[in-house]
Amino acid sequence: MIWKGDVLVSEGEGGVYGERSLGGARVWDPYRSKLSALYHVGAGVDLTPDMRVLYLGAANGTTVSHVADYVEVVYAIEFAPRPMQDLLMVARRRRNVIPFMADAARPEQYAPVVEAVDLVYQDVAQPDQAAIAIRNCAFLKTGGVLVLMLKTRSVDVRKDPADVFRETLGLLTDAGFLLKESVWLASYHADHAAIICTKPSGV
Amino acid sequence: MTAYWFGDVEGGICTPFAGDAMAAAARITSLCTSMDGFVPPDWQQAVASGIFRDRTEYLSTLQQVCITASELAVRESYAGKDVELLQMVRTLDEMDTVINLLSERVADWYQVRHPSFSRKYKKTPAHILTKTIRERSRGGALGSVAQEIERLAETRTALAKDVSGRASTVIPNTSALIGGLVAARLLSHAGSLAQLARLPASAIQVLGARTALFSHLRSQAPSPKHGIIFQHRRVHNAPREVRGRVARVLAGKLAIAARLDYYRGSADQEFLASAQARIDAAGETPIGREDGS
Repeated sequence: MIWKGDVLVSEGEGGVYGERSLGGARVWDPYRSKLSALYHVGAGVDLTPDMRVLYLGAANGTTVSHVADYVEVVYAIEFAPRPMQDLLMVARRRRNVIPFMADAARPEQYAPVVEAVDLVYQDVAQPDQAAIAIRNCAFLKTGGVLVLMLKTRSVDVRKDPADVFRETLGLLTDAGFLLKESVWLASYHADHAAIICTKPSGV
Repeated sequence: MTAYWFGDVEGGICTPFAGDAMAAAARITSLCTSMDGFVPPDWQQAVASGIFRDRTEYLSTLQQVCITASELAVRESYAGKDVELLQMVRTLDEMDTVINLLSERVADWYQVRHPSFSRKYKKTPAHILTKTIRERSRGGALGSVAQEIERLAETRTALAKDVSGRASTVIPNTSALIGGLVAARLLSHAGSLAQLARLPASAIQVLGARTALFSHLRSQAPSPKHGIIFQHRRVHNAPREVRGRVARVLAGKLAIAARLDYYRGSADQEFLASAQARIDAAGETPIGREDGS
């Protein structure tokens, strides 16, 4: 990851969403992007130029544009038409963003398109986030990494975020994922946790 | 056989798909792939069967196809006749908020200019007050703000007419039961006609009463009796003790009406007549004598 002092940046064409630039690089704000927050709390996996990424819940393409600056190709899945319009704008300007309008809970919709990837990044506001991740691990190479941004309030507002976190971890490890790291993003995003798992062989 | 975006693969042999980006986009949206034992598409296989020169061409073609497919999907999701109604009714409600806020502000401003002015013991409606302010503050900024509020109010009235007009064609049954404006608001809260048609009556009953509903679920607070449907005269004019019942019966009929609107799209006079009678009966029979018909 590229740091300028304590500022995380990415190198690519700027002006996507009015982000600041620092010495020609695009500042990646941890308060706007959960993935940036994850790097700011000192966790996460390094994005490398040979990586293929499946991005679930691409929304307006803000974080997608930064990820695309680092990796080879991003398959960006988004369900809602309005943010899709913005995402399409980002895709038209970046050669390595492949947008697709589909529900992340129904991977069969984009199965003919998405190749085997090194990283699945998931940031969806749905109650069944663990199930969605498990279904999408069909695209993950053996040894590949899942980064799940758990929105505990989307799972159940009535439950304690810590309980939701524990239950989700349980579901993922039961499905065969190996937990690598998990961390709360409290100082940047309330009630959000990041769960990082790898997919061992034979799952 | 597994169908991929570039062609069909069976037993290691790839049959390429011939067609432009548009045709390929139409194809991938219609494909139905099973996730059991699914093998993701392999670019090397596509290159080996001579469809693409290299990975760069593979990716750029794929991007073109996916952008086309997504553009089509966005267009399709906006093609529903309820989509614009949704924006219209949300604009209408925002305009109400803005008009109220500005009227309050302008009245405060006017009061500073005229220290002896007070609204107490007068039953001046806000729009009349705004008119007075405009007439008495000609030439100044205050007067022009008041004028803008009046213009906004005119636009609002015209928009409200448009909303109920469109609601009666897009959701005829729901509109007939509860009025175009309230029906459009129900639609706006549900998100779309498809979603409204799939809501149970109990959800329609409390649509728009989110705070009350969650405080009920979280603590011992009483459950809400009604959400936006309270805006309908039959609910808010009903005596307090039967209001909950009217709301429940009305919501039940609305759920049926929304399904008629979504799946049939035309008004069903027979249903409407029986529904109206049933709702009226709910408001008239005293508590404890409901026959449940």
